[in-house]
Amino acid sequence: MSVPLTLLGLLEREPSHGYDLKRDYDAFFGRGKPLPFGQVYSTLSRLARDGKVVISDVAPGSGPDRKRYVITDVGATEVEQWLTQPVDPEPHLQTVLFAKVVLALMLDRPAAEYLDTQRSAHLHRMRELTEIKRAGNLVDALLADHGLYHLEADLRWIEMTGARLDALRKEVRP
Amino acid sequence: MIRFGLRLALAGGREALTRLLVIAAAVAIGSGLLLTTLAGVNAVDAQLTRYASIYPQASTAGAADPLWWSTRDDFFHGKPILRIDVAATGPSAPTPTGIPATPGPGEFYVSPALRELFAAQPADQLADRYPGRDLGTVGPSGLTSPDTLLAIVGGTPDSVGKLPNSRQVDTIDDKPALPETTVNLILGVIAGGLLFPVLIFIGTATRLSAARREQRFAAMRLVGATPRQISTVAAVEAAVAAVAGTAVGFGLFYAFREPLAGIPFTGMPFFPGDMSLGLLNILLVALGVPAGAALAAQISLRKVRISPLGVTRRVTPRAPRAYRLIPMVLGVAVLVFALGYRPETSDGQTAVFLPGLLLIMAGLVFAGPWLTMVGARVMARYANRPATLIAARRLADNPKAGFRAISGIMLALFVTSVAVGVITTIVDERGPAPIGSTDAGTVTTVFDEKTTSVPDTLFAELHAITGVRSATAIREAPDINTGGEGGMIACADLPSAYGRCAQGAVVIEVPTGLSRWEESASSTTEWRAASITLDELQRLPVSSVVVGTDGSAAAIERVRTVLEVAFPTFWVGPNVPGDFESDFADTLRGWEQLANVIIIASLALGGCSLAVSVIGGLTERRRPFSLLRLSGAPVRVLRRVVALESAVPMLAVAALAIGMGLLAAHLFLRAQMGYTLVAPQPGFYVIVVVGLVACLGVIASTMPLLERVTGPETARSE
Amino acid sequence: MSVVLEARDVTFSFGQTPALRGASVAVEAGEILAVMGPSGSGKSTLLHCLAGILVPSSGEVLFDGARVDAMPETQRSSLRRDRFGFVFQFGQLVPELTAVENVALPLLLSGVHRKQALPRAGAWFARLGLDGLEQRRSGELSGGQAQRVALARGLVAEPQVLFADEPTGALDSLTGEHVMDLLVSAAREQGTTVILVTHEARIAAYADREVMVRDGRVNAPDRIAS
Ligand SMILES: Nc1ncnc2c1ncn2[C@@H]1O[C@H](COP(=O)(O)OP(=O)(O)OP(=O)(O)O)[C@@H](O)[C@H]1O
Ligand SMILES: [Mg+2]
Repeated sequence: MSVPLTLLGLLEREPSHGYDLKRDYDAFFGRGKPLPFGQVYSTLSRLARDGKVVISDVAPGSGPDRKRYVITDVGATEVEQWLTQPVDPEPHLQTVLFAKVVLALMLDRPAAEYLDTQRSAHLHRMRELTEIKRAGNLVDALLADHGLYHLEADLRWIEMTGARLDALRKEVRP
Repeated sequence: MIRFGLRLALAGGREALTRLLVIAAAVAIGSGLLLTTLAGVNAVDAQLTRYASIYPQASTAGAADPLWWSTRDDFFHGKPILRIDVAATGPSAPTPTGIPATPGPGEFYVSPALRELFAAQPADQLADRYPGRDLGTVGPSGLTSPDTLLAIVGGTPDSVGKLPNSRQVDTIDDKPALPETTVNLILGVIAGGLLFPVLIFIGTATRLSAARREQRFAAMRLVGATPRQISTVAAVEAAVAAVAGTAVGFGLFYAFREPLAGIPFTGMPFFPGDMSLGLLNILLVALGVPAGAALAAQISLRKVRISPLGVTRRVTPRAPRAYRLIPMVLGVAVLVFALGYRPETSDGQTAVFLPGLLLIMAGLVFAGPWLTMVGARVMARYANRPATLIAARRLADNPKAGFRAISGIMLALFVTSVAVGVITTIVDERGPAPIGSTDAGTVTTVFDEKTTSVPDTLFAELHAITGVRSATAIREAPDINTGGEGGMIACADLPSAYGRCAQGAVVIEVPTGLSRWEESASSTTEWRAASITLDELQRLPVSSVVVGTDGSAAAIERVRTVLEVAFPTFWVGPNVPGDFESDFADTLRGWEQLANVIIIASLALGGCSLAVSVIGGLTERRRPFSLLRLSGAPVRVLRRVVALESAVPMLAVAALAIGMGLLAAHLFLRAQMGYTLVAPQPGFYVIVVVGLVACLGVIASTMPLLERVTGPETARSE
Repeated sequence: MSVVLEARDVTFSFGQTPALRGASVAVEAGEILAVMGPSGSGKSTLLHCLAGILVPSSGEVLFDGARVDAMPETQRSSLRRDRFGFVFQFGQLVPELTAVENVALPLLLSGVHRKQALPRAGAWFARLGLDGLEQRRSGELSGGQAQRVALARGLVAEPQVLFADEPTGALDSLTGEHVMDLLVSAAREQGTTVILVTHEARIAAYADREVMVRDGRVNAPDRIAS
């Protein structure tokens, strides 16, 4: 789960204060594991250092919450790349995939296409594993099967999510 | 539950409706035939009762005013005319049935059919035989059949009392003519030949789409319906259809009663009123058929009631074994045994033949599955085409199911083949002499009263008729009871057509009819000399007059009329060979017709049973069949499967049944009468072939269904 | 590689219900193509159009360059019989025939004599691990065995294209994969083109390539370079 890219994505939606970012992150992606403030600000400052965000204006008063962050072109490109590139088909990808889908919907990007691309990537990997399984010995086959079953679970999730994109869009873009 | 069953039956959508209609139709046909059968037995009974009133019993005690009565046989164109001479001895003498009053001397009543003949034929051929005043028409109650030729002629007590076969009668009651055992026998034969297919048909129809229904019921069982509830639902469904069908069956019966009555099953047609139903009959059908259908439905659902899983997996039933042949073989053995051992009494003969025939009948039904299986296995072994292979395998797998639908056909064909074989042979052996032979033109009258001379005027009158070739008076041999031919004539009087005299004979011995019993008249017959002189011959009483004619009907009937007027006291009217026989043959032909009706009815029913079981087999296999079609198998192949599965066993069974029937008939004839079986007439085969073709037609009518059922939708929607 | 079977902009409707709305797909010779997609998307309909079972309302179906959709039914039937093989989800075995006779059925249907057809069919039993089951009836086989018999039947006539509609749909995953393994090996050995309809990824993973059917259209994802 990539926190920097997720925050970047949230910023692409609209310039936000750190506090808003944390709140949105917790609401959509945190799921009982809230992001500590410290991590939010350290991540944001690293992003600012890399030129992916800038601080637009500082409200009067004190505390980190007075800064409003805006995504830069570099940052936007990175988000774009991240979204379009399929994730390496590996087990336990749901959270990343989920973040991508929700962000894509928030940003009004073609989430279905991302999912399709991801499905292709998964299937491609599954084909490779199937090849290994068919050609190799039992140990190879069992290992391949392990991967295959997990990938299949991902794929099922992709399938389900794909079928409910419309509902999800309503949910994330009130 | 009953209400629920009713709702399922009536509002269960198109499929339920179709099933209801098919069962109702089956029951309608079945109950219609059943009613016809019952009414037919009643009609035969009524007819025979009236027949009995034509031959009343002589009174035992000396009643006050008895009626003199004499029933005699006369003939016209080979048809029998019943002549009843009556004379009342007093005012309280009974009146014959069917006429208002006993005719006096010189008066007569005739039946409508005879009156028509009077009008249509020259008087010197027929009407002249009944001199006197025609008082009117004999009513139906005095006639066995609308076609009966009958005359009731009045006379004086003296003259009638002297007639042959005369008796004094004090009551003319119509006692039921059919003894119960006969009725039972007739019913037994009809049940075998006709009702069996009906029952099979009803059974098969109830099974229609059994697979579907079983599924539905199995589903109900899964959600917790008890077997009893399922039974109730099934029974209600079947009973609803059966009640409707029975009602239609009654309608059919009454609609077709008149045409059916017109068919001369017994050799003469019935009055429509004869085909009546007793209350008991009506109740039997109206209540029994729906009850039977409900029962059949329950039986056909046995499997589902037991298990909620229904009949999902097809298991190959146990193959029938060869011991199934035993009853049939035993039956044939009994008949073969009867060849060597012939009981003296007719009861004893019945005791041998009836069990034999029944054994064969039951044996055929019992052996059928085994034979079907063996045939199918042979077929499967050599099958090269897929259709043949599939059909043969199915038959071999479940020969009982394959045979069930055709068992009715088999039985009907067996019964009728026996009947037709026996009848044809008897008719052939005893039928009328061939047209144009000397026999066919020979009119013989045998005297009951002995006269010593025949007036020359009579010979003149006879010779005056065109077509008469000879007229010979035959005198009674003195040694009539000690062998010899029975009659004698002068050699000079022997017409050459009837043989020649032994060398040097003056008086010869001849039979009373100038030809021996069961031999044909021939000019080459040599009659041996009698040991009396011409003078002694003239003193012997005349026993018969034999008139040779050219065989034309007009000549024969004119001769008959002249002879009857001249010798009114005949017992049996002057007759040509074949008069009796054709009468007898008519009766037999009536039975033959009955046999034909049974063949056609049972084949039609068998065809329907077949069609229904074909449909059942199709629905059972719709998925594999439709997938085969998807894979490119032409519909033609599937059509062939269906045709082979039904037509091949049907044809094989038909051949077997006819063969066994004719064999049984042959054994019966040989043992009983010493006759050799004569092949049935082409008409029989035509009827069988027409019936079988009709059956095939019914099977063919399921072909469109085959195409529909195995369309690509089936593969997709399941 | 040459295209052996192709659908071009095919549409098909069941009465008012459109099942295919301009589906295009090309299958290369020797390729194993998985057709995936949600239920009701038109996978089976597409397969039936490709196999000449259904005739599209518009568009073209080409087999070896010939317009299948323009052929009369008899010709399409014989095409299916002689050039195509089929494996369905279940229930394709004729219940009264033995397993080996079921396998021999396509041969018998195209007129091969029984004496040759039965040994040829029998050879498949060892190949698919079905030894000893030759004389069983379909009711006496497990689902997986029946499906392997069906596979043998689909391949016995050495078809150019094998159409398989959810061939493992009625089987558990292990048996299903076993059947797929056999299918793929046999198809490769014979060089048979396979069109495999499935909604299971692990089954589709046996294919060389997959296409997605959605709402009656085919989305072929770009190939991912390995
Ligand atoms: N016989 C039919 N009559 C009417 N509509 C049909 C018929 N067969 C299929 N359809 C419709 O056509 C569409 C496509 O059906 P098809 O069977 O091709 O789907 P599928 O992708 O194979 O689905 P599944 O994965 O469930 O088998 C569906 O919407 C279906 O409802
Ligand atoms: Mg489908």
